[in-house]
Amino acid sequence: MANDQVLYQYSSSPHVKATRTTKQIMIRVCIALLPAAIMGIVYFGLKAALIIALSLISAVASEAVYLLIGKKTIKEIIAQFDFTSAVTGLLVGLSIGVNYPWYAPILGSTFAVVVVKMLFGGTGKNVVNPAVTGRIFIFMSFQAVVGAWVIPNIGAVGGLSVESGATVLGSVLNSNLNGVSNLDLLLGTGLAGCIGETCKIALIAGGVYLAIEGIINIGYPIIYIAVTGLFTVALNGFDFAYFLPSILSGGLILGAIFMATDYTTTPNTTLGNVIYFVFLGLITAGLRQATHMEVVSFAILLGNLFVPLIDKFVINKPFGFIRAKKVKENKNG
Amino acid sequence: MKTNYKKIAVDGVVKNNPTLKLVLGTCPTLALTTAAMNGIYMGIAVTFVLICSNVLISLLRKIIPNQVRIPAFVLIIATFVTIVRLLLDKLLPDAYAVLGLYLPLIVVNCIILARAESFASKNGILPSAADGLFMGVGFTLALTLMGAVREILGSGAVFGIKLWSFQVGFFASSAGAFFTYAVFIAVFSLVSGVLSDRKKKRAFAEKSAIGITCQVEQQSTEVE
Repeated sequence: MANDQVLYQYSSSPHVKATRTTKQIMIRVCIALLPAAIMGIVYFGLKAALIIALSLISAVASEAVYLLIGKKTIKEIIAQFDFTSAVTGLLVGLSIGVNYPWYAPILGSTFAVVVVKMLFGGTGKNVVNPAVTGRIFIFMSFQAVVGAWVIPNIGAVGGLSVESGATVLGSVLNSNLNGVSNLDLLLGTGLAGCIGETCKIALIAGGVYLAIEGIINIGYPIIYIAVTGLFTVALNGFDFAYFLPSILSGGLILGAIFMATDYTTTPNTTLGNVIYFVFLGLITAGLRQATHMEVVSFAILLGNLFVPLIDKFVINKPFGFIRAKKVKENKNG
Repeated sequence: MKTNYKKIAVDGVVKNNPTLKLVLGTCPTLALTTAAMNGIYMGIAVTFVLICSNVLISLLRKIIPNQVRIPAFVLIIATFVTIVRLLLDKLLPDAYAVLGLYLPLIVVNCIILARAESFASKNGILPSAADGLFMGVGFTLALTLMGAVREILGSGAVFGIKLWSFQVGFFASSAGAFFTYAVFIAVFSLVSGVLSDRKKKRAFAEKSAIGITCQVEQQSTEVE
């Protein structure tokens, strides 16, 4: 008995482990957001820097205060700090306009971190994306008071400059292409919009950095953006002039790269992810057409709520698994 | 049998608060709490219907056959709701306009039917009237408080008096209604949980002092 006893080490999955921590990932997401933040400050002046800073600080501070109330010591809080609230704060700051009152980013970030993330159990347990919800909170609360969007300091490089505070997306949705060049849309010059959403090239640079670092799968945002563009084209009678303006205006690129790809609120499987991002694209294009409003954040919120459902029905087949055939019971036997 | 009116009062306003503890009648709660005044209007209307229907159902409780009691209750409630509607339309046209659809919907309000079913159909007239009154007061208080919070945050005013220009539109929207309702229920459960824990501890301390002597006596009897 004792001779043929072999010691096997048993452990539950996961068996393959990476050394990368949540903290390292979130620091890289922060770095990827920096170009957009810098371009936002260049375009909209120091007020933009103030809004981003307020949003960032209040997100981190509200998480710390929540943990303090939960009887954690300051040492534990610092050890636990993993930059997720910093990413949330940055995203909330970037996704609002520069003419919002100073308390808007503070309230939005605090709501995002405390209500959406911490009350549901902290990092990795939130049902919906905190940044998206924070943005919607601010949008619902202050949009009517604030009114029009602000035009950046730098004028248009080519083509027409939009004089009024209407966003290009607004014009596109009203079936009026307005003569704004796609180059301007890409650079965000001379266009009204949110702090971080105007300069698409900075956002794309951040997205490419994240893809190279292996933090996001670049295919998924591309699916989302492409489906949105194509569905908009289809809804406008297959007029391909709508393709580029519809994907380059509004918050689609920011949402697709940074908000929709949040680990916690995406499905677990590849097929599930494809379904999720196609769904987001269809909802975004359809709702944009129906409501004549920017709906990316609402679409992501709605999509997030469907993630548990997708995960329930799209399950990876375990290796070597054969589905047991249903055998009809022999009633006579 | 002597009825305990204090118990009915505590049950209605705190222990079985229809809005915060039983979570009944959520539809008017969510829709009408945009202003504190709406809560008072709705509360008065519901309290009136509750008292009257409780009294009438309690009177008729031995006549109504058990099989058709729900249609009979609804008929009685609908009668009083019609009276309230006509009265409000004449006396307080503003309140009538604000409450709108939610006034006729009192007929299917779960609070009234639940009290008819679980209290008025089993108790005498006076306890039923008291139950209707205190349930109504609990409902009114909860709605008015929620309305006040949402009005202060959502439109910077209370009872229609403008306090400041600072306002968070989120709280005036329907999403804000759900959020405020959830926070209210959470705070209510927290406070009532802490209070009942304290009461239990005190009762336990008293009981354990007596209990030891009881146990000793029991053991001694068993030995005999």
